[in-house]
Amino acid sequence: MGADKVEIAINTVKIAIIFLMMIQMVPLLVWLERRGSAFIQNRFGPNRVGPLGLMQLLADAVKFITKEQFVPANAVKFLFLAAPVIALVPAALAFAAIPLATPIHIDPFHLLGQSWGPYTIEMQSVRMNVGIIYILGVSSLGAYGLLIAGWASGNKYSLLGAIRASAQMISYELALGLAIVGILMIYGTFDLNKMIEMQQGPFSFQFMGQAYEISWLPNWGIFFQPLGALLFFIATFAESNRLPFDLPESEGELVAGFHTEYGGFKMLMFFMGEYGHMMVGAGLVTTFYLGGFQSPFVWQTYDYMLNLAIAHHGPGTVASALTTGYFLIWFSIKVGLLLWVFIWVRWTLPRFRYDTLMDLGWKTLLPWTLGNVALTAIVLYWARAM
Amino acid sequence: MGSYDVIFYILSIVSLGAALGVIFFPSPIYSALMLAITMSGLAAMFFTLEAYFLAGVQLIVYAGAVVVLFVMVLMLFDLRKESQPFSGQKISNFFKAGIIAAASMALIIPLSTVFFIRTEKTKPVTTVDLAGTLFTKYVFAFEAIGILLLVVLVGALALAKSRGGTHE
Repeated sequence: MGADKVEIAINTVKIAIIFLMMIQMVPLLVWLERRGSAFIQNRFGPNRVGPLGLMQLLADAVKFITKEQFVPANAVKFLFLAAPVIALVPAALAFAAIPLATPIHIDPFHLLGQSWGPYTIEMQSVRMNVGIIYILGVSSLGAYGLLIAGWASGNKYSLLGAIRASAQMISYELALGLAIVGILMIYGTFDLNKMIEMQQGPFSFQFMGQAYEISWLPNWGIFFQPLGALLFFIATFAESNRLPFDLPESEGELVAGFHTEYGGFKMLMFFMGEYGHMMVGAGLVTTFYLGGFQSPFVWQTYDYMLNLAIAHHGPGTVASALTTGYFLIWFSIKVGLLLWVFIWVRWTLPRFRYDTLMDLGWKTLLPWTLGNVALTAIVLYWARAM
Repeated sequence: MGSYDVIFYILSIVSLGAALGVIFFPSPIYSALMLAITMSGLAAMFFTLEAYFLAGVQLIVYAGAVVVLFVMVLMLFDLRKESQPFSGQKISNFFKAGIIAAASMALIIPLSTVFFIRTEKTKPVTTVDLAGTLFTKYVFAFEAIGILLLVVLVGALALAKSRGGTHE
């Protein structure tokens, strides 16, 4: 957490801000989803409250909070109330490990008659050397929220939705984990920060003892692992229970699946969990395959941007913070674009049938990911041995 | 007592309490959820000891997959809640066993805080070390366990098929 009081305070505030940022993205995403779906379906969408219907978010929030808190007679009350919270936690925990930008270096300064610093503030809640394992671990707990919600509601539709959800999440977790193995073999590390570092600069690789370099293409994972990126992205859709994988909800057969009995703020918390999973998925795709917070212009490396900032503002905290802000913007743009793809796909593709969903998971994605691992291993061995 | 010690004791209390809950809850669903909390508590404990890989695997395999399957199967079967965790004549025996266990815990815990528990960090084992050992020194045992799991899988499938089941 930190060596002294100031550093601990900064880190605590930072953790709170990152969590709140994630929560605050949810209303924006709901707005984007409603306007986006309207755009795709040739409608208007919410456009009455405020400019572009943006105030609709506030109206919705007030509506969600002031709705009646209702517990069905058949429900198991404690678990019924706990489930929405449990559904929200894994996504929030997983998001904590994703690096958002380069660290800020704070120079020593004087405050209240004492000298403090220097500090290095990482732009992520926790930095750890096995970020991927941690994220996979906590997001695998996501199934509990849905299972408990479905069972505790005391409703057959809810239970069926919950069991579908957990079966689906367990099935696609395999494909998700195996899709990452290819990129892990290339980078040889579980550390997300190191992974992003390795994607800096122009696209370069070694093959048959010769080094190749393409100066205008960034050194991103997607050019090494296009198949892995595609498989991983598909699996994240299934993990966040979005269309075309929203079998747990499927309003046609199951009313609303596991959250049939939920309303008001409890329903909103499930929403936050779902959008949180989307954000974690988009953040991971960005980190693994799209160079993380790196700029797509290959000459804009960390050193280049820092020197640029120093040239304008002199060395110190300001230059470091400006560089961090620049990379944070690129991270947000990439994640935002991926989130738009999530929404776009939702309003484009129809839902799978249950057996086709399981076929896709076990008979298509799993063999393809295993094949990707084998292919990567052979190419790496071949390319590096000679 | 440093901050790591405080976290260690909190995690121990949560894990042990949840482990007791597994046994003492009359409802099987609650027992299974308590098991999940125990597993997560253990994972968190590995985490504080900087055994990140072990912590992650503990979460993914036990809390994330095995116990989820337990919970799912229990929910499908809709087992009736038992009126009490233990029944009939057994209660006195279990009670005795419980008292013995509690007494020995009461002895062990104060002793272990003095002599055995070392929460300071050791040299962290990296995943590369772990993989190296697994695929060189213990490769035979590793492969043997793989074959064992395959046999279990085939056996489970054979057992499930012989009863007819829902598919033909």
